[in-house]
Amino acid sequence: MKFIQGNYYDVLIEVRDLVHLCYELITHPLVGSVKPNETPYRSIILKQGINTDLQSVTIIENSIQTYEKFERMKSTPIWSQRILEDFQFVDLKLFESSLDSISLYS
Amino acid sequence: MRLELGKVLIKDMQFGNQTKVENGTLFINKEEMLNAISGDDRIKGIELDIAKPGEETRIMPVKDVIEPRVKVEGPGSIFPGVLGKADVVGSGKTNVLKGAAVVTTGKIVAFQEGIIDMSGIGADYTPFSKTCNLVVVCTPTDKLQQHEHEQAVRFIGLKAANYLGEAARNVVPDEVKVYETLPFAESLKQYPNLPRVAYVYMLQTQGLMHDTYVYGVDAKKIVPTIIYPTEVMDGAILSGNCVSACDKNPTFSHCNNPVIEDLYERHGKDYNFVGVIITNENVTLMDKERSSNWTAKLAEFLSLDAVIISEEGFGNPDTDLMMNCKKISDKGIKTVLITDEYAGRDGASQSLADADRSADAVVTGGNANEVIELPAMKKVIGYLEPADIIAGGFDGSLRPDGSILAELQVITGATSEIGFNKMSATTL
Repeated sequence: MKFIQGNYYDVLIEVRDLVHLCYELITHPLVGSVKPNETPYRSIILKQGINTDLQSVTIIENSIQTYEKFERMKSTPIWSQRILEDFQFVDLKLFESSLDSISLYS
Repeated sequence: MRLELGKVLIKDMQFGNQTKVENGTLFINKEEMLNAISGDDRIKGIELDIAKPGEETRIMPVKDVIEPRVKVEGPGSIFPGVLGKADVVGSGKTNVLKGAAVVTTGKIVAFQEGIIDMSGIGADYTPFSKTCNLVVVCTPTDKLQQHEHEQAVRFIGLKAANYLGEAARNVVPDEVKVYETLPFAESLKQYPNLPRVAYVYMLQTQGLMHDTYVYGVDAKKIVPTIIYPTEVMDGAILSGNCVSACDKNPTFSHCNNPVIEDLYERHGKDYNFVGVIITNENVTLMDKERSSNWTAKLAEFLSLDAVIISEEGFGNPDTDLMMNCKKISDKGIKTVLITDEYAGRDGASQSLADADRSADAVVTGGNANEVIELPAMKKVIGYLEPADIIAGGFDGSLRPDGSILAELQVITGATSEIGFNKMSATTL
């Protein structure tokens, strides 16, 4: 478990670096259909592998490009505490849903 | 499976002493209806209001839109496995109050709910400005968790549609349309020389508040399966989804899915529309791989010549869309995709978050990033303040005079990825 003191983008960059260190994406970085320039939170699950997983490379690069496209249009606003809590809640629930799915099938 | 869909045309909606249809007007006994839909102790108050086409009314934040239907003949009831038993629906007779809708509202999460304007430029972008809307405003108890709130509002909306649908039970429909899909082997015998076509229907299923239900089952827990198209018309698929308003499929749109409608139009003439494959859009890549493997396997099993694939939502479902497209194409089956675009405000950026060489026939439902100015309305049903924070809105979206500057994303159904709207693009 790694906490990134930063925003959505910082998490994506960290994940990209891990992918190039042979980690494989377990969850899609754009999960939730919450737009990248809306939420400051993002939890992503990866698994350590042996070789570079090309599908993970493609997906994280596409996700970073998508983030940059949205951020160019409009930066993530400075949200009030109530809204931040809603974004945290959604991130948590989607994260739990992923864990649920993984434990079901592993 | 054969379904007769009887359309009772509704041109007006009013509160009255008795809930009934008379000369194209749906009268609603407010007190009786409130009694029928109340009882969830997570909700401390429900208000009902009416919004009609052409009025200077804004409804927001919109959670779901549901069409009132009633099962007149044949097994089961509307919304099987949810309001009734899990009987197989889609056969017999169903009556629908065509022109009426239930709209649910509530501040469930501080973002991602939609706007319906009943007049002005915003009205052009949503199909639900053309229906007479019974709006259900639910006030939750204090500190109710968002997903509990969503579930409560979802059930109240379904009950409301069910209650109104009963008004169509004994009315002679203005129009009747028959839809029929034969069991697979019989359909091949009936049209041996026509190309076999199916519809791959992707359902949003990413987690709480991003879910879709099939016969009451959370669709993220299914493997792709086959469903008769007419089952969908009886409410077998319903929305439990707070994803951005423009490209989620409200329950109304599921029941009226234009891909199914149009596939039936030319069924038996240009091709043999053999059925629908439903699949999900889950959060893990293993789920995505499994589900797309299954859609491709089912497409092969049905010996299809072509499929239409529709997406729901944005972002990671783009990956499901491309996986479905690639794997089905690899079986030698032709594909046509329906999606929408997040192509930047000028439309010049990459539209989707994923791509594949095999995706060479794609229909768009419009660019959700396009900026739109919505004039102030005389009346707001629901709450106006979320305009600054819903998807596609931004700080300052809501102006002091009540007008709103935001992206098309804010409008319910604006860029429908099943084509339940008018937006698209053509190559010049």
